[in-house]
Amino acid sequence: MAIRTLSIKGTDSRDMAQQAKTALKDFDAELLVFFASSFYDTSLPAKELSAAFPHSRIIGSTSHSEYCNSSYTDHSVSIMAIDKQSVEDVCIRVVENMEQEKIKLYDLLSEMEDQFGGQEEIFNHFDRYVGIVLFESSAKAEEAFMDSLGTASDILFVGGSSSSTENNISKVYADGKSYTKAAVLAILKTVNGYDILKTQSACILSEQALLVTKSNLHQRILYEFDHRPCGEVYAEVLGVPKEQIQNYFVSNPLGIVAEGEIFVRTFDQIKEDGITLHCGLPEGAEIHVLKIGDIISDTKKALDSVITYSPAGVINFNCLYRTFEMLSKELTDAYCSLFGRYASIGFSTSGEAFLGHINETSTILVIK
Amino acid sequence: MSGQIYHMIQNVITQKSKGNQIIARSIKTKMILKGIAVDKYTPSSPDDPIVVQKVKDVAKEFGL
Repeated sequence: MAIRTLSIKGTDSRDMAQQAKTALKDFDAELLVFFASSFYDTSLPAKELSAAFPHSRIIGSTSHSEYCNSSYTDHSVSIMAIDKQSVEDVCIRVVENMEQEKIKLYDLLSEMEDQFGGQEEIFNHFDRYVGIVLFESSAKAEEAFMDSLGTASDILFVGGSSSSTENNISKVYADGKSYTKAAVLAILKTVNGYDILKTQSACILSEQALLVTKSNLHQRILYEFDHRPCGEVYAEVLGVPKEQIQNYFVSNPLGIVAEGEIFVRTFDQIKEDGITLHCGLPEGAEIHVLKIGDIISDTKKALDSVITYSPAGVINFNCLYRTFEMLSKELTDAYCSLFGRYASIGFSTSGEAFLGHINETSTILVIK
Repeated sequence: MSGQIYHMIQNVITQKSKGNQIIARSIKTKMILKGIAVDKYTPSSPDDPIVVQKVKDVAKEFGL
């Protein structure tokens, strides 16, 4: 048994950690990945798990709602325990104050890669090394961080941003500690390799490429497409009056298309002479207007096209908006049954990560 | 003058990926997400100085 998954509801974090310890008493976990309802944060879930599993490395995040195998729950903790049969080594670091502009990650990534023998070893065995990134979402700086991460390392990082329940507590965790405005990075040396999937709730509506000519990436404000007000151009593409565009923000987000993959950016609200987004767009990017697709069939297609083997474990970073949409359409059972085929955990994220920061997407790490 | 942007982009992808197709795809995607519309540029594209500088900056960021 190389990977085990647990869904636990405890009275507090200590109870949760003790339940996990009992369930995993015959399992020697190298790494624990957990997604805990923010309800648990006040009783220190990372500290309790660290005490219960002193020989394991631990990373995690608060969550609005959790996934485990074929279940969708809330006020729970989803845990994936991974032993050395699946991940033989792991390096974990925390980057605090991630909201600072032009964050440099070269030295940190270089030091992390050195644990495994350096860049050349990783390049030569690229199919075995993969990264997980967990963002605390209040920093709202994931775009710049992913950009720096992508230039600092060839390793593919997949992950998402923390979410929270009604208590609005958002944290990420590494070993026994909790962090805000931070990113947790983990590089995994897998035994049998990995796959990464990305599937989103949207497809291209218009083949017309719009050039972003004025934007503020860090403030996540979009001003102009093709040197014209972005709202005006967006209305034209949809064929609707400019005054009504906010009615289409949910059903028609924007996307950058790269190598056949869509990187979704969702709208927030109209603000003075621009529109705020949940993920910034750089000037020079070409975008398309999208339309919402079918989450269940698109997810099934994505999973079935890649997972043609029996995976050791699957971690699903699924956008909170997608969770809301599935709840409103009563689709969670159908969605979860797709993941029930694997040992899997996941949570509802406030943004997803793969090559960049994205919205309305599910990024999925498959450990072979 | 034309084609400089295309050749600079191809140079970044080739040097960084060293023949690994998965890394080549990820480098290309990273450049697109940085705001360089990689597929738009051909050997006959005009040398827009702003874009030339942007690609130079990206190459530098990649350590090239």
